[in-house]
Amino acid sequence: MTDLSSSGTGRAGGTAHSNGRGLTGLLLVSAPVALLGWLIIYPIFNAIARTLFAPTQTGTAFSLDTYGRFFSDGYALANLWLTLWVTAVCAALLLAICLPLALYLRFAKSRVAGVVQGLALFPMFVPSVILAYALIRTIGPNGGVDLVLNALGLPKINSPYLTPWGPIIGLVWDNIPLTTLMLVAGLGAVSDNAVEAARDAGARPIALLRHIILPQIGNAMLVVLSFTVLSIFSAFTLPYVLGPASPEMMGPFMQRTFSQVMDPRMAVTQAVITFAICAVFGAFYVRSIAKNREARR
Amino acid sequence: MAQLTLKNLGKSFDATDVIRDLSLDVADGELVCLLGPSGSGKSTVLRMVGGFETPNRGAILIDGEDVTRVPPEKRPTGMVFQSHALWSHMSVAGNVAFGLKLRGLPKTQIREKVGEALALVGLEGYGERRVWQLSGGQQQRVAIARALVLEPKILLLDEPFASLDQHLRERLREELRDIQRRLGITTLFVTHGQDEALALADRIVVLRGGEIEQVASPDRMYRAPQTRFVAGFIGSMNFLPCDMRGGVSDHPLFAVRATVPDGPVELAIRPEALTLLPARGTGARVHRVTDYGTHLLVDVDLPDGGRLKAMCPPSARYEPGQEVALEAGHVALFRGDAKLAEVTVERRVAVHV
Ligand SMILES: Nc1ncnc2c1ncn2[C@@H]1O[C@H](COP(=O)(O)OP(=O)(O)OP(=O)(O)O)[C@@H](O)[C@H]1O
Ligand SMILES: [Mg+2]
Repeated sequence: MTDLSSSGTGRAGGTAHSNGRGLTGLLLVSAPVALLGWLIIYPIFNAIARTLFAPTQTGTAFSLDTYGRFFSDGYALANLWLTLWVTAVCAALLLAICLPLALYLRFAKSRVAGVVQGLALFPMFVPSVILAYALIRTIGPNGGVDLVLNALGLPKINSPYLTPWGPIIGLVWDNIPLTTLMLVAGLGAVSDNAVEAARDAGARPIALLRHIILPQIGNAMLVVLSFTVLSIFSAFTLPYVLGPASPEMMGPFMQRTFSQVMDPRMAVTQAVITFAICAVFGAFYVRSIAKNREARR
Repeated sequence: MAQLTLKNLGKSFDATDVIRDLSLDVADGELVCLLGPSGSGKSTVLRMVGGFETPNRGAILIDGEDVTRVPPEKRPTGMVFQSHALWSHMSVAGNVAFGLKLRGLPKTQIREKVGEALALVGLEGYGERRVWQLSGGQQQRVAIARALVLEPKILLLDEPFASLDQHLRERLREELRDIQRRLGITTLFVTHGQDEALALADRIVVLRGGEIEQVASPDRMYRAPQTRFVAGFIGSMNFLPCDMRGGVSDHPLFAVRATVPDGPVELAIRPEALTLLPARGTGARVHRVTDYGTHLLVDVDLPDGGRLKAMCPPSARYEPGQEVALEAGHVALFRGDAKLAEVTVERRVAVHV
């Protein structure tokens, strides 16, 4: 008797419980979705709409004039190319620096690895403004390096400050920690046993990297690449402080168009173009994550 | 033809000795099992033979040639790992073919050898599958095929079947034994399952704390363990502490005669060496009867508070609480870790009845 009644309430409670959980889940999800819509989706479409409809005497009319102006303006295109070029160089340099670092951190069994890891993560905690200032003080004109060279009676360095290499040095340094962390995480998927089995089969370090390690972290590399491209493409502080005045990178360019040229519609157009390029890499990122999920299933 | 010699091997991690001083000869075509509790250094020994760890002391010889400092990629050894060692971005055939490709063999020859290796482990036609489409047992077979296809002089296996269920483990064990016999390949097999070692090995090496405790054939290891540790580790064993006085043990149920100096000893008796008889006045009572189908295992509470296990034929009938008498057919006497004597007792007729 007691048995029956207790099982009955148990079942009813179970349904109510699962209903409640569904509702809570919806509520939990609805907050970020609403925020996403309000703060990201809406501004995107709003911005795109603003670039597509030009104000006229009678109201607004569809017009692609700002896009026309952007793509016919040699200076704007030079800025876009510079940004793309800096991004590509940064991504290549980051991979070249961080992959060996990540391989070392993942496979070295010495205690030095801990110290190296600490050093590699250090830039993450340095604000870009301070980093920019420090770079000016060391490799800028009459900076620390010049002082040392001067004391040794050597000529000054050709300072990268205010050339495209200024922001490249800063951006690479700034992005080393995150890139390294992501690569180390990707390398975590390569088991020690898999690597040892490859060595057992006769693979030397180069073959090991090419045939065993790289194919297994392809996805992680794609994620890393799209991530760094996204963050470097939209970087502002370092290009603004360290970069050349002309051509300039998209971040400072947008800011100047907005507040000094006072052409907000043009600034938004520049932003939409930047966004479109970033969206391509974002799509790569999302696709590789989705692929990852599928493979794991 | 390959013979393996380990000479006074020593290995320490962070200043702790993991392997103390280990010497071992493995004959051509022999299958030797390294057996021991967790942390006894079995994997470390195997990894040193494979070249994945460098010994701090001693030498490793394969066919008389010193390979102590040779890296794994140049050693004539093939290793099978416990798990997660297949390359998931390659097909089954790709996994097996990898080492052959590195050696620059022509394509047709590679295909032929891969086919043979897969057939050897019973996976014909599985070449194009992805490794994650295989079951755990099939994956381990691929790992074995991958090690064998390179025709290593020494095959090394580190608990290759540990992550598989009992039935599969037994089947793969037998298959491995057949393959190993057929190829006559010298094999070192690490396990912490004593049944696996007893079933597979030509010789068993019991490791304990980085030192060899005993080397013997499975038969000798089981029937004539040289130390108390081996006696307790291989198979199940009843240990009964008591004192020797004037050549007779003072245990109330087992008065064993042996020419042993007086002092504390432990009587070691296998469950199958015990015979149970219904009796009165012995103080020993049946605690529980477990039916294993082929035999019964009877737990008996002793009057001194101890408990022992006795194996009985499945036809025997015992009830919990029933009073019984016990007879031991074969007893080993240990003092500390050392064996003092072994006594085979003539079966007396049931006098207690
Ligand atoms: N790379 C290492 N660094 C430090 N200590 C290690 C390392 N490898 C093994 N050890 C230590 O060496 C001892 C023996 O380890 P080993 O892996 O050989 O044991 P095992 O007999 O294979 O045990 P199990 O049955 O659990 O696999 C352990 O105490 C372990 O902590
Ligand atoms: Mg082990």
